Amino acid sequence: MTTGAAGEVLLELRAVTKSFPNGTTALRGVDLVVRRGSVHGLVGANGAGKSTLIKCVSGVQPVSTGSIHWAGEECSWSSPGDAQAAGLATIHQHVPLVPTLSALENVFLWRRGPWRSTPQMRVEFDRLVERLGYEIDPDVQVASLPIGTRQMIAILQALALGAELVIMDEPTASLSEAERRIVLDAVRRLAADGTTFVFISHFLDEILEITDHVTVLRDGRALLDEPTATLDEGRLVQAIAGRELLAVERAGGAGSRTGDVLLDVTGIGTRTGVRDVSLHVRAGEIVGLAGLLGSGRSEILDAIFGADRSATGEVTVAGRPVGRSPRAAVKAGFAYVPEDRVQQGLHPAEPLWKNISLPDLGRLSLRRLLPQEQEERALAARAIDELGIVASGPDALPSELSGGNAQKVVFAKWLYADKPVWLLDEPTAGVDVGAKAEILQLVRRLASEGKAIVLACSDFDELLSVATRVLVVRGGRIAHDLDAQQVTEEELIMLAHGLGAGTGEVVHV
Amino acid sequence: MSEKVVTPTAGSGSRLPTWLHPSNAGVVYAFAALVVVLSIATASTGRPSYVSPTNVSNILDQTALLGILVVTTTIVLISGNFDLSVGSVAAFGAATCLGLMPSLGFYGAFAVALLAGAGIGLFNGVVVQYVGINAFIVTLGTLTAVRGLVLIITDGRTVTVPEGADRDALRALDGSRWVTPNLYLLAGIGLLALAAWRVWRAQRAGTSWRLPRVLVPAVLGVALLAASPAMVFTVRLSQRAVYMLVLVVLAAWVLRYTTVGRRLYATGGNAEAARLSGVAVDRYRVMAFVLNGTAAAFVGVLYASRLGSINPTGLNGFELTALAAAILGGTSLFGGLGSVAKSLVGALILVTLANGFNVLNLGANYQGLIEGVVLIVAAGMYTIALRRKQRVSLRTVDPTTKPVTTGHPTDAPELTPAGAGAERS
Repeated sequence: MTTGAAGEVLLELRAVTKSFPNGTTALRGVDLVVRRGSVHGLVGANGAGKSTLIKCVSGVQPVSTGSIHWAGEECSWSSPGDAQAAGLATIHQHVPLVPTLSALENVFLWRRGPWRSTPQMRVEFDRLVERLGYEIDPDVQVASLPIGTRQMIAILQALALGAELVIMDEPTASLSEAERRIVLDAVRRLAADGTTFVFISHFLDEILEITDHVTVLRDGRALLDEPTATLDEGRLVQAIAGRELLAVERAGGAGSRTGDVLLDVTGIGTRTGVRDVSLHVRAGEIVGLAGLLGSGRSEILDAIFGADRSATGEVTVAGRPVGRSPRAAVKAGFAYVPEDRVQQGLHPAEPLWKNISLPDLGRLSLRRLLPQEQEERALAARAIDELGIVASGPDALPSELSGGNAQKVVFAKWLYADKPVWLLDEPTAGVDVGAKAEILQLVRRLASEGKAIVLACSDFDELLSVATRVLVVRGGRIAHDLDAQQVTEEELIMLAHGLGAGTGEVVHV
Repeated sequence: MSEKVVTPTAGSGSRLPTWLHPSNAGVVYAFAALVVVLSIATASTGRPSYVSPTNVSNILDQTALLGILVVTTTIVLISGNFDLSVGSVAAFGAATCLGLMPSLGFYGAFAVALLAGAGIGLFNGVVVQYVGINAFIVTLGTLTAVRGLVLIITDGRTVTVPEGADRDALRALDGSRWVTPNLYLLAGIGLLALAAWRVWRAQRAGTSWRLPRVLVPAVLGVALLAASPAMVFTVRLSQRAVYMLVLVVLAAWVLRYTTVGRRLYATGGNAEAARLSGVAVDRYRVMAFVLNGTAAAFVGVLYASRLGSINPTGLNGFELTALAAAILGGTSLFGGLGSVAKSLVGALILVTLANGFNVLNLGANYQGLIEGVVLIVAAGMYTIALRRKQRVSLRTVDPTTKPVTTGHPTDAPELTPAGAGAERS
């Protein structure tokens, strides 16, 4: 590591702008100072310019005007390799590791030389692991590791490259609580050791907890740039959203407990480990599935929808049995918002109108055979309008949209098909604060229209803000059935971890 | 009106409709360029015109078998799968048909051959979709195994049909010729109809029609009509060419205008998303294989009908030619992208290259080299065009655009940004 006192300016952006040939401006004069040894938080809504900023800093794209200074000198990196050589490493949300190689081989992937692994690498690996404070078996195959551990390997890779500044793009977005803690601890430990971090996250509690300094981006400008100590969650949210956003409230009245039972599930089991799950949902009710990552909450939804071919058990909608396939489920009146909207929810190469009409194509077609394109486009235009989807029009491609807007498109697929039962799997994952509130509002609206809703969500606070009832899922089973009004987030976390009420400490599993 | 919607990916300065854009219709331009080059070459060497009615008829006839197969191969590719077995299946269809003709008569044997092709397609599809083995491996297996089956049932010898009623019936499958009316006349009528349709549509929609969009086809149409007594261009279509054209038009229509086509593209584009949207992904993919197998058997019988015999090694490697044509036509090997019309143009390019070498009397030795280079160049151009398109689409997002929800308070009161806190019952 090169020398440099903590606190000195390591990376500085001066009035950086970035505009694209088509006239779009992503950055409008951003000043940013990252000091050595600090953890610098970067937050902003989707589309605020965070990604563009990262790309400019890490040498993927050149800036339009302004300059970037590294350790006091103006730099002009033309490729990510240049930035890496200078000591700046970027860890992306989807960690690009080679799954078939071992942890050791991945960490030293960049190293030239005739041998796959040398004793010297092992020594170095051990030293890095010690700095990180997290034990990893160097010979374990990366494919067999959970995603949190892969993040750690990516950090090791950055350290092995001699990185002084590590940019982490939403490192905790898809981690369980326990894994999140491990990553945060590692960042803190390495920062104390002199490594500098730029930490991007949607989780504001995380930002407040771990960073020394926070910059909020909105519409390509740095709107807020202050030491973390002077900030609180409310101010951050306000800066990100650009408007007074009330914290999600407990809207317990949104759901009804007196409607008819619309969805009745009996004895569902799957090969993936769901056992004997029975539940019922009334019209107008929002039933939350609360569980840790890997507890089986997504698997339960998959089984109810019939997406899991191995699922056994019985599902009825309004008393009528439903066949065990997504096709039968859609026919029977299910709407399904899957966990991974890009892989499971959208056709990235098809325009929005084709995406939106797909589940209901038969009804929108003449004699169920000839699609009526005018109507499909009108429907898409209506969805864009009503849901506030930021898109250039019905012909926009889903791949052009930010996370929150893409998620609204997934909702729109089912919204106009009049489906009485909604299965929502992490509908607000990877979505910015503003869009999150809009999506939760939409869920409440659906319930008030008399839909039966099952909602899986890893953010328990959010879950409690909309749910009527909460089912705690653990080990593929429903462990508790609770009234959402009578339970707190802390209690839910403990129950999800398998702890009785009373102890305040959450054990990492 | 669909044509008025300007997609953001369309080039800003150009007024071409999207389907005529070089990135979308590159294969058509490439084919046109090839024909121009060959025409100039033949003219400059004093040979008869390359685009003479006779040669055009010949090219269509030579393309027919490949053209039929490329349609169904494209459908398999669009569904997101891959079928290597069609060459063997075609030979198997022919061998079955010819082998059974003495006992079943032509029509019985023909039906059995088609069913056998469909059966092999079904096998491919079921193993790929329901057992979950990669399509490349499965169809590589059937490619080899079915060729072996052909050798077994023919005992390695060429099967010939003896003269007689059955042979006549076999010949009749591909016997007749159809001379088209003057194509200039047809084109003129078509252009006038287009102009009339545009006027009618504009009037129905209540908008004023744009003059050049009507006048240009109208004037051209009248000019062609007036010239048609003097200029005559008729093509003699062989029966197999008619089969091909009918199949292309039918398949193109189904893919473009029906729910079946839409769901097929959805299946190939993102199978998981399609499945979770209620599309019967497995059935669509199996059906694509079945179609491909049936078409292959049909092509095999057509192939045998002209020869009156089938060699057990006949149509070897035909599947690769069909795949090459589909790729030339811009069909993606990853599914969800492709068009049968463009695949047909791809087939025409391959046939025209071969035909051009013959006409120009260039050594056939160069043919393979040129075809291979053309294939790679074409695929490279598609890849680059696609990459550029993706880059453009990234840039079209304007992060400063604001949602317009507030403009329609009556439509979506709960969804306005401030609505998050508004509903506190």
